[in-house]
Amino acid sequence: MSLGGEAAAPRGQAGGWLTLRRRKSLLPLALVLPGLLWLIIFYAVPILSQLWISLQTGNPDDGFAQTWNWAIYADSISEYSEQMLRSLQYAGTATIACFIIGFPLAYFIAFKAGRWRNLFLLLVVLPFFTSLIVRTVAWQTILTDDSWITNALKTIGLVPEDGRLLATSFAVIAGITYNFLPFMVLPLYASLERMDRTLVEAATDLYASRWTAFRRITLPLAGPGIFAGVLLTFIPAIGDYINAQLLGTSQQYMIGNVIQSQYLVVREYPTAAALSFIMMLVVLVIIAVAARFIGTKRLSEAAVA
Amino acid sequence: MPDESLDHFFDRLVSGEPISRRSVLRRMAASGIAVGSASAFLAACGGVEGSGSGKEEVDTSNVNHPKAPIGTLVFSNWPLYIDEKVIPGWEKANDAKMRYLEDYNDNEEFYAKVRQELEQGQGIGRDLVAPTDWMAGRWIDQGYAIPIDKKNVPNAKNLLPSLQNPPFDKNRDFTLPWQSGITGIGYDPKKTGRKLNSINDLFDPEFKGRISMFSEWRDSAGLVMLGQGVDPSKATKAQCSAAIEKINEENEKGQIRRFTGNDYTKDLAAGNLWACVAWSGDLVQLEADNPSLEFLVPDDGGMSWSDNMLIPQEAKTPYGAETFMNYVYDPVAAGVIAEYVNYFCPVAGVQELVAKKNPELAKNQLIFPDKATLDKLYAYPSLSAADERELTAQMQKVTGA
Repeated sequence: MSLGGEAAAPRGQAGGWLTLRRRKSLLPLALVLPGLLWLIIFYAVPILSQLWISLQTGNPDDGFAQTWNWAIYADSISEYSEQMLRSLQYAGTATIACFIIGFPLAYFIAFKAGRWRNLFLLLVVLPFFTSLIVRTVAWQTILTDDSWITNALKTIGLVPEDGRLLATSFAVIAGITYNFLPFMVLPLYASLERMDRTLVEAATDLYASRWTAFRRITLPLAGPGIFAGVLLTFIPAIGDYINAQLLGTSQQYMIGNVIQSQYLVVREYPTAAALSFIMMLVVLVIIAVAARFIGTKRLSEAAVA
Repeated sequence: MPDESLDHFFDRLVSGEPISRRSVLRRMAASGIAVGSASAFLAACGGVEGSGSGKEEVDTSNVNHPKAPIGTLVFSNWPLYIDEKVIPGWEKANDAKMRYLEDYNDNEEFYAKVRQELEQGQGIGRDLVAPTDWMAGRWIDQGYAIPIDKKNVPNAKNLLPSLQNPPFDKNRDFTLPWQSGITGIGYDPKKTGRKLNSINDLFDPEFKGRISMFSEWRDSAGLVMLGQGVDPSKATKAQCSAAIEKINEENEKGQIRRFTGNDYTKDLAAGNLWACVAWSGDLVQLEADNPSLEFLVPDDGGMSWSDNMLIPQEAKTPYGAETFMNYVYDPVAAGVIAEYVNYFCPVAGVQELVAKKNPELAKNQLIFPDKATLDKLYAYPSLSAADERELTAQMQKVTGA
């Protein structure tokens, strides 16, 4: 809309539909409209349709009918609780591993890398230039039974003589950790990088040990980044199915594998929809609890980190 | 799709295998993980309301597709499943163009991708697709296939007798095999330390964690039934179910390393698997680079299947599709395809032609099986749609999803 033209119109005209006051109150709405439409079309509508589908019963050959079958939620949970718990466990372990690997890396890039900083950041993001599947297939090759890694670990006794790395929980968690590491590193880097380093100097001037300064200054200031990194890693990791599919066995399948198979192979669309919905709720609850725990201010800081 | 070709390239790079035939993409795709599967996944997530059965009786007695200008024929086939040299011959003879797509990566996935159009009675933008037997049966039962005007396909007489009357399409009114294949055992005798001769050898505790089976039940359970002395082509649902249960027991013991799609080839070539349920064409190819690998049609029997040319509903040019079927049932064109594809050739007369140029290939039992081999092969069980669904669900449970 042409704001200038409108503003030039005589003010306070009794019959004018767009009075200044009304225009002022409508403007924010107009600005929010594109985003709102986006959310409605790509978020609300699919979710409602998902909910609608999940309550249907029937079969793919004769069709599904709406029967408001709420029992499907309890059934799906009891049927696939194993894969759900496994998803939480794998995603949780991988997130912790990402943090342990990612924090020193982000710290190094933010404070020690100097003029190489951008190069290191590029290197962190570089794997994303190839597809997730390609990267994961590469791990298949790295971890094969006859690979030097497997043989080396066998020699030092970390893997039993008739054991293997590929097709184990270890491989799946390692794959998730690898694939999601940049999601942890980047927000950590962002929050460390804008930290005021003089605070650490001040702390050490006041006789804080380096460790205390780190614990009392650096870590809390990196808080929003840690929180963002944990969420960005954990949430997509729960739904991941590529790693379990390529690096695991049927004993490592996660809830994403179940949903995929229910949609594409078994064609039990209601079960698949219900499982997707449950997974989303679980994630929402986790975020809500975390927000409660850490505070919404931190949460929004994390969002912009 | 750039992503797909990248995967393709990378796969070749990491596996050191030459790229050929459909195995490469299919191996990823069959387990539902190809890049393309994401779109199918999204398609499948769409609404399912009103998916009433599209069942309509199609009259096959009176099909007439008169000669008409063809324009462009669209064929969706499995990746690396044709020698594209043969296409211009058909194009010239019929003054037509072909858009040959390699986007049929997986039966269920492709079905999921086009399901909504089919249910609404629309065309899917293809004139030919290549579903495997059981999936072709689903298309026919749902009324999604156009019957073939046999007057346009005189060469169909070259179809091997053993393939003429499959249970899902008794008179081949809707389908003609594109290529056929054998499901048996692929193994490395150096690793197993002995010759295998039955599917039950896969359950030898010595091989714990070194064998794999297909996650799709028809092949895996079919072989297991043969090991139990059951004829899978006549099997009841209970017998199929018992075979799946047997697979479950072995899996719980840790005997089975993975359930795979086409991706077993990589594990087998890398030595992660010592023996596995395998497709004949893949092994012909793998053997070229890993001479120690062998394909076995077990003494108890193997499964045989076909990927079938089928004309989907609302196809633009059924006549064009039929002329193409006719063309590839000419032994000359069929021979070119067979030499490239290395699956079991469904067209009679090809073996003699190939023997002149490539006598070694003509002797390959996996491409031109003799009667003794053919007698050991069995078709997939033919069960009701509901039974098939239950067995699919049971098998998915076993495979952990």
